[in-house]
Amino acid sequence: MDSDEDDFVFYGTPIEREEELTSRKKKAVAEASGHLRTLPAWKQEVRDEEGRRRFHGAFTGGYSAGYYNTVGSKEGWAPQSFTSSRKNRSEVKQQSILNFLDEDEKADLEGRFLGTSSQFDTFGFTAAEIARKQAEKEQQQRPSVIPGPAPDELVLPATESVGVKLLLKMGWRRGRSIKDSHASAVYDARRQARRAFLAFGSDDPEAQTTDSQPTKSDIQCFLEQPVNDDVSSSKSTPVFVLNPKQDLYGLGFDPYKHAPEFREKKRLRTSSKGGPGYSKGFSMKDSLFGLKSGKVAPGFGIGALEELDDEDVDVYAGHEYEDTYVHEIEEPSKLSLENKKKVNLKDQGNLPGFRVASNSDYQMERFEAPVIPKDFVPRHTFSGPLEIDAKHYDIPPPEVPPPDDSNLKLLIEGVANLVARCGKLFEDLSREKNQSNPLFNFLLGGTGHDYYARKLWEACQKRNDQTKQQLDGRVPTASRAQRLTAENRGQILGEKPLERSFQDPSPSIASTDVHLQFNLTDTFTKSASFSELPELEKPFKNDPAKQERFEMFLKEKYEGGLRSTSSSLASNMSEAARARERLDFEAAAEAIQKGKSSKGSKLSTPSFMDFSAAGVLEFTSGGVEPKKDVQTEDFMAKKMYPKREEFQWRPSPLLCKRYDLIDPYMGKPPPAPRIRSKIDSLIFTSDSVKGTRMEDLVTAKKDISPAHQSENDNTNKKIADNETEVEVEVENVERPVDLYKAIFSDDSDNEGEESNVVKEENQEKKAEVANAALSRLIAGDFLESLGKELGLEVPPDMPYPTPKSMNPDPQKETAGANARNDNLIVESNGETSLNQRTVHGVGSSKSGPIYGSSMLESSARKTKGTSDTDAKSNKFDEEKDDDRKMKTPSTRRHDYSSEEERSRKHSRRRHRRRNSGSDLSSDDDRDQYSSRSKGENKDSSREKSSGRRKHSKHKHRRRDSPSSKSSRHKKEKDHADARREKKRRE
Amino acid sequence: MSVSDLPRKEVNVLKGHEGAVLAARFNGDGNYCLSCGKDRTIRLWNPHRGIHIKTYKSHGREVRDVHVTPDNSKLCSCGGDRQIFYWDVATGRVIRKFRGHDGEVNAVKFNEYASVVVSAGYDQSLRAWDCRSHSTEPIQIIDSFSDSVMSVCLTKTEIIGGSVDGTVRTFDIRVGREISDSLGQPVNCISMSNDGNCILASCLDSTLRLLDRSTGELLQEYKGHTCKSYKLDCCLTNTDAHVTGGSEDGFIYFWDLVDASVVSRFRAHTSVVTSVSYHPKDNCMISASVDGTIRVVR
Repeated sequence: MDSDEDDFVFYGTPIEREEELTSRKKKAVAEASGHLRTLPAWKQEVRDEEGRRRFHGAFTGGYSAGYYNTVGSKEGWAPQSFTSSRKNRSEVKQQSILNFLDEDEKADLEGRFLGTSSQFDTFGFTAAEIARKQAEKEQQQRPSVIPGPAPDELVLPATESVGVKLLLKMGWRRGRSIKDSHASAVYDARRQARRAFLAFGSDDPEAQTTDSQPTKSDIQCFLEQPVNDDVSSSKSTPVFVLNPKQDLYGLGFDPYKHAPEFREKKRLRTSSKGGPGYSKGFSMKDSLFGLKSGKVAPGFGIGALEELDDEDVDVYAGHEYEDTYVHEIEEPSKLSLENKKKVNLKDQGNLPGFRVASNSDYQMERFEAPVIPKDFVPRHTFSGPLEIDAKHYDIPPPEVPPPDDSNLKLLIEGVANLVARCGKLFEDLSREKNQSNPLFNFLLGGTGHDYYARKLWEACQKRNDQTKQQLDGRVPTASRAQRLTAENRGQILGEKPLERSFQDPSPSIASTDVHLQFNLTDTFTKSASFSELPELEKPFKNDPAKQERFEMFLKEKYEGGLRSTSSSLASNMSEAARARERLDFEAAAEAIQKGKSSKGSKLSTPSFMDFSAAGVLEFTSGGVEPKKDVQTEDFMAKKMYPKREEFQWRPSPLLCKRYDLIDPYMGKPPPAPRIRSKIDSLIFTSDSVKGTRMEDLVTAKKDISPAHQSENDNTNKKIADNETEVEVEVENVERPVDLYKAIFSDDSDNEGEESNVVKEENQEKKAEVANAALSRLIAGDFLESLGKELGLEVPPDMPYPTPKSMNPDPQKETAGANARNDNLIVESNGETSLNQRTVHGVGSSKSGPIYGSSMLESSARKTKGTSDTDAKSNKFDEEKDDDRKMKTPSTRRHDYSSEEERSRKHSRRRHRRRNSGSDLSSDDDRDQYSSRSKGENKDSSREKSSGRRKHSKHKHRRRDSPSSKSSRHKKEKDHADARREKKRRE
Repeated sequence: MSVSDLPRKEVNVLKGHEGAVLAARFNGDGNYCLSCGKDRTIRLWNPHRGIHIKTYKSHGREVRDVHVTPDNSKLCSCGGDRQIFYWDVATGRVIRKFRGHDGEVNAVKFNEYASVVVSAGYDQSLRAWDCRSHSTEPIQIIDSFSDSVMSVCLTKTEIIGGSVDGTVRTFDIRVGREISDSLGQPVNCISMSNDGNCILASCLDSTLRLLDRSTGELLQEYKGHTCKSYKLDCCLTNTDAHVTGGSEDGFIYFWDLVDASVVSRFRAHTSVVTSVSYHPKDNCMISASVDGTIRVVR
């Protein structure tokens, strides 16, 4: 196998052997390269790559393709030439497969093409088409006198359709009709007879009535006639125009198109021209079949159930008058056999022995047009208007005391209500009906009429108010109609009907104007905010004018619109009053809005009620707070959301490009990064406490260090002190590095650094736990101090006792450092008085009544009130048990730092670091101190040994005990105390 | 369009997904639809004849959203595998994968010219990816959200994202401005009205809220359905006359746009209706559900 075939994977076993294959290949190669090339073209054989001779059409015997397997031919092959010039454009030829086929191939394909055969050209369309094309071609070839293509009618197909052929085979000849020759022959004979009759009777027109009587002989004659009838030649059916144009109207114009009844009328008129005696069935006939009155001569008609058909037309074409005449005469004489109605269709097809029924069921009933009464006025008057004509009640009728009769009173009121609802028509009707009834005298102006009028007016008013049809009676009728249409339109469009529930006590012109505006705006804008208002209670119900102004105000507020009215309305008010009122309105609107948005209008009604009660008070005095309920809060929440804020945002240039937009920031420097809300919260909410605390720590340290320095000035100095001091210094120096690391470097970096530091300080410490938190803390610290530098306001800290104690403490310490040896009482007093916590740490330890020493009595007294009993009991335990004593400070610290639980981790971390540095010193000192304070009370000689022992015992435990940041301060303080103690000891 | 024209009758059920279907979307002309689901596949359907045409498999986790270009030539999809896949529709091959989201990708959309894919991720960011170049780096990362971004909508000039932090943020590329509309409730899904003037936001307090885009005003609230824990789609009908959305109880709701009344509701699925998509022209919609079916309603 070839090397290049190694890539392929073969499935199955190859059949041929390798050597065979290769030998054949070799042969093929040799042949191809060798002598075969020298052979002439026609002698060459085509072989495939494996040397096998290639045959075409192996199943048909095989042949070699082309001219000895070439694409050429013996004559040679010439490509198609293509020339095209500006003058002589060559046409783009539509090539088909036929262009590429030989003649024999074409012949092969011949049978497979779809085409039309003239054989099945039933209607001769194809033939006609061909013929026309032929004619066109001919016409093009030799131009005739008549220019243009030959008209279609002139060009007839040369072929005959199958139908024609069939007919011809059946004996039909051209030019004949296809109807039954015998029947038509009978009919023709009859016609002949008629003609003879005509000739006979024409000279005596007066005798037509007598002649019209049928005679047996006539019939006989008719019946006999067909016998001697020979086959008459009937022409082929001519094209028959059913409705020949007989008028002078334009083509296709039908004057009765939209009023067919007039057509009927006209027909009646024309038919009435005919003889009264004969036109009985005529109209009926005409109404059934098309109008042919033009054909029918005046004075005569065709008999009932008879129709003019083609034969008739044919026969009487020349002499219509006679025709009709004869017809009339003939009509009754015709036997039932001759029923012409059926003749048209079945004349030729009547079965022998059957006859057509004489009277047909098929009769159309026709009614005369209704007689119009003489006094009819051709103008439609609508029944009484729906609303009672309020013009009568323009001026409200005077208040009338009701009639004495309570029944009558009830009746009057009922009728008034009905009339108000149903309209004036009802009144008229009832008046008419009850003319004789004495009870209804009030309708006719009798007793109680005044009361009725008054009631009616009231009812109308009420009704108008209800339906908000305030404008009736005042606006002219035309505008009312207009309004009605607008209402209709509103109904059609499904607009909200206008509701107005409140009663207008004294409608003035101005108010109607306003209402009109309201109506308009309501109908058009359908404002949700305002349209609901009428359903709500009115806040200023008791003052309609004010209420009106309020509505105007609302309208303006929510919709804008015309302001002139409002100003004119309020023009008579003073400026101050107007301003006050405006405030009221604002508040009321707010309340309405609130009520609406919180619950539907239904629920808001009561709440609004009490609001409005309190509202007036509140809005005038401004002292009472509006009631805040859950709804209000809900509303507030809703009002708060959605809240929209805008920021600058810079799309990347590529994004703009992809969006096909111009970069709005093109050429501008990149904007300062927006402080993300997350960071914001980090700085100002949770970490702010820590931050300030850290700050205080820093200041405390800074304060402490001078204290140390002052101490350093002193000749008495301990190594432990020194170490602490160094440690403090180191921390101060180290901080910024940490900060920057925390901010600008990765966590991992930080971690490494931190762990290094930790390693340096203490290998035992686990740095990883608190690293992240620490870095955040430091970052917060940094940002906070940065903020201070920039003069930014740092959010107020939570009250925290340590800073307070710390700040004065070192001061005092520095002061006390000098005079340390002199007076310890003062110092301890100062400490206790300064700080509650110091009291806990120091004072309370001495406050136990049993162990109280004279030296610290004052401090104990002072701190007694503040120190809690827990601390005391703790202290008590502490005294009892050394181990327990170690724990108590930390637990107390818990009490202190309970609010800082979250930050304890960080602080612990710090604490640890602090510890790690000053492990030996500070812890030692602290323990020493605590032991000393106790020892002082008890026994000064035991103190040293116990203190040392305790310290060594509990050093490690100390480290593990949870402690807060405050512990650190405390420790420092303790540390300082311890130092003092040491100094004192020395 | 009247209420009676709203789709109600189920025409076809498209079955094939194993497990929940997370999204179903009509293509641009509404002749086809795409669905994706928990079974890590995207499927192409003819919803009107109920035929499954093609399945696109490549995602490693559930597929959460899919979108097709207006010319139907490319797909983009996203899901739990933190990637955005850019597909060739005809061959079913992945042309490109966009990696970069730090969390699951919730939604993905093409822009108008299909030149940019914008994805919304659990990592609180919107990312825009370039389809024209061969770069797989995002063109832009928008990370002003403070919680998972659930849904994204694109207009010709804007990118709009809805997030669990309760904001709908509109990033106007033309003006270079970000508008944040805080709704106070986690936003599940946003959808634009067909006239582009409003945004419908589905919030996790079982309320759909309609916002006016120009003013940020709350126009209407649609309630009645249940949407408390799932990402449920909502949309407006093609005439903008009604609002529709699924419910966690398997119902599909229709609200009147203006008065927010429930005009129609019917049970379409046995389980949570995760996604609805309305036909761009006809009164027809598809809905996808956790029960693994997509139903075509007419």
